[in-house]
Amino acid sequence: MRLVLDYLQAVIATVKRDARLYLSYRLRFVAQLLGGLLTLTVFFYVAKLVRPDAVGRHASYYAFLVVGILVLTLVESALNLSALVRMELVAGNFERILVSPFGPIGGVMAMAVFPIVYAILLSGITLLLAAVIYGVPIHIGSVPAAVAIAALGGAAFAALGVVFVAALIAFKSSTGPVWVIAGLGLLGGIYFPAALFPGWIRWASDVQPLTPTVDLLRHLLVGTPSGESPWLEFVKLIGFVVALMPLSGVVLSQAVKLSRRHGTIMEY
Amino acid sequence: MQQAERDDLGVLPVEGVSQLTSDHLVSFRGVSRSFGRRRARRVVLRGVNLGVDAGTATWIGGGNGAGKTTLLRIAAGILAPDSGRVTIDGTTTDQSWREFHRRVGFLSAGDRGLYARLSVRGHLEYWATLAFVPRRIRNQVVDDGLAKFGLTELTDRRADRLSQGQRQRLRLALTVVHDPKVLLLDEPRNSLDAEGLAMLGAAVGEVLARHGAVIWCSPPGEPEAVEFDQKLMLVEGKVHPA
Repeated sequence: MRLVLDYLQAVIATVKRDARLYLSYRLRFVAQLLGGLLTLTVFFYVAKLVRPDAVGRHASYYAFLVVGILVLTLVESALNLSALVRMELVAGNFERILVSPFGPIGGVMAMAVFPIVYAILLSGITLLLAAVIYGVPIHIGSVPAAVAIAALGGAAFAALGVVFVAALIAFKSSTGPVWVIAGLGLLGGIYFPAALFPGWIRWASDVQPLTPTVDLLRHLLVGTPSGESPWLEFVKLIGFVVALMPLSGVVLSQAVKLSRRHGTIMEY
Repeated sequence: MQQAERDDLGVLPVEGVSQLTSDHLVSFRGVSRSFGRRRARRVVLRGVNLGVDAGTATWIGGGNGAGKTTLLRIAAGILAPDSGRVTIDGTTTDQSWREFHRRVGFLSAGDRGLYARLSVRGHLEYWATLAFVPRRIRNQVVDDGLAKFGLTELTDRRADRLSQGQRQRLRLALTVVHDPKVLLLDEPRNSLDAEGLAMLGAAVGEVLARHGAVIWCSPPGEPEAVEFDQKLMLVEGKVHPA
């Protein structure tokens, strides 16, 4: 029990540290919010070019698009973990994490929490703006369930982010996330339903966690019909989290071992 | 201890250096380390055997590139040796990362390892938590750390607004925040004034007083800030009496 508490407190301390560092840049939040508002405006007019029922009867393509874009923000936050770890390496802080009892695995995983929590918060505010300014119909009663789904999706994407950290530590390569974010954006049905893909590639939208996350969030928040049964999507998402989290921990642990052996762990 | 017992324990005598027994608080057994491959391979440590007893301070000198930092990084668990092993208080990193690092305080050379925009107190709170200092005493530990290194007046100041000497004091405070049993110091005098050196000496004294051990690496020729029980030189990958 003491062990669990120690680790939990270390995770909370890391989130607090990240929040303090984030808040030290006072205009960052406003700038990000304004950026989000501009994106909403651009897509509001782009959506007018698309048939209103393109994503299902009684469903709005704009609402479909807004939720998709916000989920992509969550994916980016989680997958950019390797960029954060690289900054820690450059600043010499990763060395200190390495020699702490909390250790590199706990340290890296804890660093994923704040960006995900922040992305969920920022997405919530952006969605509210979309509702107020552009009339996106939000199902308020479903918001708590949507937050839980976003957190689960964040955990699954964070696991992928940890794998990229492992690649950074073992091979000093951190270019993967850019490709994966672009690929997930395409295959996960961010801008259009994955059902539009030809059959030979459609399987790819089923073997990654973005599709169930975005489908469930659209279903809960704006009532877009889900591709499959929502419960099946939920089970799939849980499955991704349960499979990917421990796997990513093992991969990171092996990467740390390898780079300690090669003597490259402090390099960047 | 009888010779037969020593042989059983793999005691490795080194001329002029304290003989390696299972009683040492810190022991390096046959630690070798090289970097690079094939033609670019550079051997830095060649089967280092060294024992450091509880309540003693050891100085390890050596020229630039002699392998002092590599030796300390292996001791701290940052690097793995090619062969051999380091045991601290009976524990290795392979046995328990957590328990090993609870016993170790490591100060790297240079001035890195601080968050530019985090306050002095924020740093101490953060690293005390990552070092698993119990919550009920954490505030007291942080206050003590600030006082020990003359940082109380600077508690709310961001790290990027500290002088080099103040940064080094903060780095030292972070190194000892969890009361480690073993201190591994890599060129710790960096930018410290006389007052800072006295504080560093006091911190070393505290570790020794609670039967800990200190390994201090620095180039030869620096004035001594503490009294060392053992003085060694790292030459061509091996330790020799200084």
